[in-house]
Amino acid sequence: MYKTIFSLAIKNAFLRRIRASLLILMIASSMSVMLVIEGLYDGMTASMIDKALRSDSGEVTIFAKDYRLKQYIKYSIKDADKIKKELKELNDVKSVLTRFKINGLAGSAKASYPSDLIAVDFKDEEEFGEFSEFIKEGSLKLGKNGCIIGKELAKNLKLRLNSKVIFTSRDVNNNIVSKLFRIKAIIQSTNINLDSKTLLVPKEAIYKHIGLDNSSATQIAVRTDNEKLIDTIKEKYPSLDVMSFWQYNPLLNQMQDSMIIFNSITFAIVMGVVFIGILGVMYVSILDRIREFGIMLAVGYSYKYIRYQVMLEAVVLGLIGFIIGTVLSLVFLYYLHIYGLDMSEFSDGFASFGMSSILYTEIKTAYFTSIFLAIIFASILSVFLPLRKIKKLTPTDVIRNSL
Amino acid sequence: MIELKNIQKYFYKGEEREVHALKNINLKIAQGEFSVLTGSSGCGKTTLLNAIGLLDKVSSGEIYLDAKEIAHLSDEQKTNLRLNKMGFVFQAYNLIPVLSVKENIAFIMRLQGYKESDIDERVNELAELLEIKEKLDYLPSLLSGGQQQRVAVARAVATKPKIILADEPTANLDHKNSESLMEMMKQLNEKENITILFASHDDYVVKMAKRVIHLKDGEITEQ
Repeated sequence: MYKTIFSLAIKNAFLRRIRASLLILMIASSMSVMLVIEGLYDGMTASMIDKALRSDSGEVTIFAKDYRLKQYIKYSIKDADKIKKELKELNDVKSVLTRFKINGLAGSAKASYPSDLIAVDFKDEEEFGEFSEFIKEGSLKLGKNGCIIGKELAKNLKLRLNSKVIFTSRDVNNNIVSKLFRIKAIIQSTNINLDSKTLLVPKEAIYKHIGLDNSSATQIAVRTDNEKLIDTIKEKYPSLDVMSFWQYNPLLNQMQDSMIIFNSITFAIVMGVVFIGILGVMYVSILDRIREFGIMLAVGYSYKYIRYQVMLEAVVLGLIGFIIGTVLSLVFLYYLHIYGLDMSEFSDGFASFGMSSILYTEIKTAYFTSIFLAIIFASILSVFLPLRKIKKLTPTDVIRNSL
Repeated sequence: MIELKNIQKYFYKGEEREVHALKNINLKIAQGEFSVLTGSSGCGKTTLLNAIGLLDKVSSGEIYLDAKEIAHLSDEQKTNLRLNKMGFVFQAYNLIPVLSVKENIAFIMRLQGYKESDIDERVNELAELLEIKEKLDYLPSLLSGGQQQRVAVARAVATKPKIILADEPTANLDHKNSESLMEMMKQLNEKENITILFASHDDYVVKMAKRVIHLKDGEITEQ
C-alpha cells in the first residue's frame, strides 16, 4: 500500500520536470543565499566579540569600585598582582592580566588628541589574546621609551613608525607630567577604543613616571570557558566591580541581539518565499490532476491516501531542494570561512563599527537543522489549501460526464 | 444482492433550475446478472449507476448490498466498499496516466494488500485473456482506445469484485472493439460469476444483456 503511495508520489513529483526543477532550484538558491547572509552576519558578530575578548575585557573584567564612572587613577586596584596570582589558581581560568590605564593627551608636532596610555605586560597580552596578531607595522621590540599606537590615532596625529609622541597626563599627586615615546609598532585590532585613542607601553616605562605602586592596576581581565566562574570571583572579591563580558560590552550584546532578529526576519522571509513557491507548484499540480484524483477516489483510493501522496510529493521536492541547497551553501560558507569576503573598499566604514573589512562566515549545524525543519513544515503546510479542494469533491464531481 | 428502495435524486434542489433525476426507483439485481440500464440520453442511467456505485449521494431512499444498507455510510466506508466489492469501467477509460499498464491493472490489488506474487500471476492471466500482454510496460497514453478500455476492464475485474458497473463502455470504441469487449465481459460474467451492470444505449450492448432495464425521465418503465 505505502509502496504504491510512494511510487505515485515520486512519479507525480517529477511529472512536470521543468516545474519541479524550477521549484527545487528556487528552494536551493534561496536557502544558500540566506545561509551565506546568516553565516556572514554571525561571522561578523563572532569576529567582533573575539577581538573584544582578546584585546580588552576577556570573559570577566574587574575594576576598582567607582573607577569606570570616574576614570581617576586613584580608583585603581591596589593589590592587583596578588589578585592576579589568586585568580590564576582558580579552576577553569585560562589566563589573567592586569592593565593600568591613564587618561591624557597624546601630541605630535602636527596635532594632539585626547588619548589613553595603557601600561601592560606584553607577555601576558600575548598569552591572553595573541596580541602580536594585531600588529600591522613594526614589532614588539620596543627598546627604551618605545610605545605601540593604535592605527587610527597614528593617522589622526600624522605619525609613522619611529615618530615621536608626547603623552601628557596627571600623576598620582595631580601634577601635570609628560613623557616622550618613540613609536615602534602600529596596531589594528578593530577594537575602536584601542585603535583610535590608545598608546600601549610596558608597565615599567610608566609606573615610576606617574608615581604608581608596581602592583596596582585599573583593570584585571580573565579568560575562561566557565560561565559560572564570575559568581566565584564576585563572591571572592565583593569590594571590586566584577563584570561579565556582556555587562562590560552592552553594545555588542545589543548588536548580537539585532543580528539574531535580522537573521530571524531573513529566515522568515526566505521561508515565506519557499512556502509560496511550493504552495503555487502543488496547487497547480493538484488542479492539473483533479480528474485523476476523482478516478482514484472512485476506484477505492481513499482521501487519506491522497493526502499522504500529495504531502509526500511536496516533501520530496522540498527535501531535494534542501539537499542541493545544503551542498551549495556548504561550498559557499566553507569558501568564505577560509578565504573571507574582502570588503576593503569599505574598510573605513567597517572600522568605524569596529569590524574587520574581511568578513568570514560562521558555519553552524543549527543553520541546517532549522532550515530542514522549516522546509518540511512549509512543504506539509503548503498542500493543505489544495487538499481542501479535493476533500470537497465527490468522485462524480469530476467524472460525472465520463463514467 | 443489490436492492434499491424508493430512490430519489434531485440536482440543485430548492433552486429554480431543480432537476428530479431519479423518481422513486425500486430495483433488485441478483448475483451473477448481466444487465443493462438503457434509455435515451438524460433519462438518468448514469445517475442511477453512480448511486449504486456510491459515487454520488441520493436525496432519499435506501440501497442494500447483501441486505446491508449502504447509501448512508460515511465517505471513508463508501470508499472501502467500492474498493472491496465493486469494479468500475468508465466511458473515458480513466486509467492513471503515470502508472504503466501493469501497475494500473495491479492498482486495486495493491490497495487491497495482495502479495506481489499473486498480483503478478493475476495481471498475467488477465493480460493474456484481454490480449494486452505485450503492452504491460507501456504507459496508457501509448495505447489505442480499445486497448485502454481493456486495461480498464482488467483493473475492474482484477480483484474479482462482486459487481462491475460500466457506463457506456463501448461509446468510444469501434464496432469490432465493442464486440470484443462485450465478449470478454460476458466471459467474465460466466466464468467468475461477477454481476455486471451496464448503462448504455448501444444496441449491441442491449442485445447482449440478459436483462434490460428501461429508464425514461428518471423512472423505470420496463424491466
